[in-house]
Amino acid sequence: MGQPIIVADNIGVKFVRSRRRNTKLRDFFVQGGKRRLKVDEFWALRNLSFTINAGEAVGVIGRNGTGKSTLLKIVAGVLIPDEGTIHTYGRVAPLLELSAGFSNDLTGRENVQLVGALHGMSRDELKEKLPKIIEFAGDQVASAIDTPVRHYSSGMRVRLGFAVIAQLPHPILLVDEVLAVGDKEFRNKCYKTIEQMLSDGRTLFLVSHSEGDLKRFCKRGLYINAGHMEVDGPIMDALDAYNGLVRT
Amino acid sequence: MTSNIVAVWRSRSVLGLLVRRDLTVKYQQSVLGYLWSLLEPLAVAATYWFVFGFLYNTKGDLDGAPYLLFLVSGLFSWIWTSAVLGEATTALTAQARLITTIKVPRQVFPIGRVFGKFFEYLAALPVVFLIAMIYSFTADYHFSWDLLILPFAILVQGVFLVGIALLLSSANVLLRDVQRFMSLLNRILFYSAPIIYPMAKVTESGMPGWLLRIYEANPLVGIAQLHHAAFLPAEFPSTSLLATTLTECVIIFLAGWFFFRRVEPAVLKEL
Repeated sequence: MGQPIIVADNIGVKFVRSRRRNTKLRDFFVQGGKRRLKVDEFWALRNLSFTINAGEAVGVIGRNGTGKSTLLKIVAGVLIPDEGTIHTYGRVAPLLELSAGFSNDLTGRENVQLVGALHGMSRDELKEKLPKIIEFAGDQVASAIDTPVRHYSSGMRVRLGFAVIAQLPHPILLVDEVLAVGDKEFRNKCYKTIEQMLSDGRTLFLVSHSEGDLKRFCKRGLYINAGHMEVDGPIMDALDAYNGLVRT
Repeated sequence: MTSNIVAVWRSRSVLGLLVRRDLTVKYQQSVLGYLWSLLEPLAVAATYWFVFGFLYNTKGDLDGAPYLLFLVSGLFSWIWTSAVLGEATTALTAQARLITTIKVPRQVFPIGRVFGKFFEYLAALPVVFLIAMIYSFTADYHFSWDLLILPFAILVQGVFLVGIALLLSSANVLLRDVQRFMSLLNRILFYSAPIIYPMAKVTESGMPGWLLRIYEANPLVGIAQLHHAAFLPAEFPSTSLLATTLTECVIIFLAGWFFFRRVEPAVLKEL
């Protein structure tokens, strides 16, 4: 195995449940003094430590709402943990929340250029890779590449998002439940791409509910339950632990 | 803090990209395109010129200096400030999609708004020069080396606005009606600085010394005077006013920077 590429040390993330999303200034002043809302904190993740080596393929398993996506966001660097530290040695290509961060009012082409550039692709690289990206995303996307992403179906968005991320040269690939959305043809394309990336020695961090996908790519599994790491070992062990919980 | 600044500096290409995207989105949706960035300040300037130049004849308070030139040199810089106050609040909330999926130093989003509005100001700036040129032919007015004050004025204002943008954008995520509050404040602040009226009107108004000090404590006063002074040197701020303004701008910049850093984890959770 290669060098450590993701090192998480005792990570914890805390959310405040009772905090209303749209706090108003009025509330702030009225309750700012003594009459504070009872603060209901909970730890979405706590005491998580793991080291992932370059070239590993790791699957993350757990029920809904147990902090899998939160963990992915922390690895991607778009969420800052309240406790502990995370280090990634190399850039991360993340595909989170089923879209690569596309804005609705830009066209597919503009989005690809923006997102690609934000991920560090140079203008020349983008020019070179744009046809590849569009081709990978499929005919449907290709014919709509100059219309705003607003009009895309969710499948089209995911396909274009994956196509961009797949062209990034970054050593770490994060994938959150993406394979479930595409149709069979696209899924096969994704499988091929991921296999290609793994054979290139890149690191995969995959969140999925599909046992097939997990077994296909991952040797190692992290089973997370209620914000804690239950199993960190061979993927079969993690799956067994998960299935055991669901059955009972 | 330094490592953080380095990270932002390294992302300057990202910054350029965001600014360019904002400008294209804004102008491709309207037929008049670039002309809009001229039309708005011109319309506002014409209105104030009519009311205060003609109806109230403010000229008398300026030692005969052309009022129109005084007006546009301050007004255009104010429009930059005003636009930042209005739009920096949404710099993070409106781009939540990008921020929650791509790792870039989050500061680039509010800073990008400041630069975007700066380019719109820059686009309108030739109008000020044009007016100054017309006066230099028709009236007793001359350009001077004082024009070099302009880049300095822009720098001071830029530092101030970056601090403000960092503060407002992150505060607005945690308290969503900062946005509404700012639109109110925006209107008040316009009259708090010598933009349509000359500074002399304030100093000669006979207001008590402590009140004048409060008035001068507003960094917008010094910034406005610097912008006027580039074209009308007599308006150059006094040493004490200049010192106050510079100190405050640096403090606001640092405060914005540290506040942003401090609330960043909470902001990312809320987006």
